[in-house]
Amino acid sequence: MSDPSKPRAAFAPWDRRELPGLFTVEESARRVGTYKWLEMRLFESLGGWVATVPELDVKLVLGRHCYHHAWHAELMDKRLPELREMNTDRLCEPANPEMVAFVAALQEPEAPEHTIEKLVGIFRVLLPRKIAAYTYHMNATSRITDSPTQRSLGFMLQDEFEDWREGEMLLQSLIETPEDVERAARRQAELETLVLAAGGIAGPGTLGSDVVTEGASV
Amino acid sequence: MRKQLPPEMLARDSRFVRTSIMDQVMDPRNAKMGERELGSARLQPERPAAADRARNLMHGIFTGEIQALEGAGRTTFDFDDDEAPFALKLDMARQCWDESRHVEISVKLGDWMGTEIGEYSEATFLYEAACAPDPILRLCGVNRALEGLAIDVFNTMREFGDLSGDPVLEFCEDWMLADEVTHVKMGSDWLRRLTADDPERRERALDFQRTVDKLFSLGGFRGESEENPIQLARTFRSMAGFSTDEIDELAEIAAQAQEDARAMVAGGS
Repeated sequence: MSDPSKPRAAFAPWDRRELPGLFTVEESARRVGTYKWLEMRLFESLGGWVATVPELDVKLVLGRHCYHHAWHAELMDKRLPELREMNTDRLCEPANPEMVAFVAALQEPEAPEHTIEKLVGIFRVLLPRKIAAYTYHMNATSRITDSPTQRSLGFMLQDEFEDWREGEMLLQSLIETPEDVERAARRQAELETLVLAAGGIAGPGTLGSDVVTEGASV
Repeated sequence: MRKQLPPEMLARDSRFVRTSIMDQVMDPRNAKMGERELGSARLQPERPAAADRARNLMHGIFTGEIQALEGAGRTTFDFDDDEAPFALKLDMARQCWDESRHVEISVKLGDWMGTEIGEYSEATFLYEAACAPDPILRLCGVNRALEGLAIDVFNTMREFGDLSGDPVLEFCEDWMLADEVTHVKMGSDWLRRLTADDPERRERALDFQRTVDKLFSLGGFRGESEENPIQLARTFRSMAGFSTDEIDELAEIAAQAQEDARAMVAGGS
């Protein structure tokens, strides 16, 4: 029988979480707001494209993924007031004008023969960028104080990885000739150039190089 | 990508054959077909043509689900944040996922029942209802009128599965029916929320819904008598937010549409 009066540490020996994190409440909220904005633009794009792609399997996958990103936007929307941002629209904005230009270019293809261009933008440019940014956020923020954001990002990353894999497989099945390879590569380069100019999906410092850490660590 | 994608731009592969509703309505063979005495029009397994009619209907469900998916998707994209609330767009995105599943289910049920994609033609009037410029008109035309029709259709098909001893059909239709009740309820809820302070807008939306309902009751397709292949599912409609008065009005629209069809046949023969 265990001794109920025996003191135990608050953290089990294998629980190595620490208090310090790189983000202040404000910085975490800013990033969460940019993620919400981007997830909204993404689910709207996928929803809009459903009617424009003739490939039945792609159509159905876009319909499914549309909801995944809407749910991510909802998770981020719910987190904002918990980060002291009561007006959730205020921080729901792009990181900078370059990010707006990137999203406009991403959404541009419409014609039914441009399925490769549509999918490359999502699955070879945007999703890898989101995976990188969300992973950085999870690793950089305090695992104790900002744990609710981390938990949501964990769910989102699970979707991102699975959706990326599914989208990449669709792309590989659609790319059938050297010309298709060239198209896909060209499209990827165009969009990578634009997102690079934005500094990543959360702007400069998306992956940490320009993050202001002063006063944020404990 | 443009806002507001017209129906003729819906993307399909080479298997699909598109027709217009006017071609279907004005088909000169309809008058002769109408003269046939076939007894009850209800979908019943003992009727010789029941299997063919069920396959035809399943293909219609399949193309209808594709267009419902496309319509919900466009509603997430076509409106700016100030035109359609964030929560409404989230509902539409959720509906996209549901409609994707319904397409998957109907493709597999079509296989199960012995049809191939493209075996029957596709008309785009469902998507056309999803092209209204006001989101609440779309919600009324698609979620309340057409998804309401889907409740009637799925309930009829579910009963047909039960009567014909097809547990796969019955099982799948029952699951889709659950989703459709949710979609219709979404439409009912948003209609009330978005027009709470705007009775004129509400009336315009309900008028649009009546027009769509009348179109889809065409020729007595849907109603409450033995002459209607698709039966009005009162209980499920009530669960989805329809009042008894609204269901009664729909029954009247359906009865009137049947009378119109009779008059048309009489005039043409």
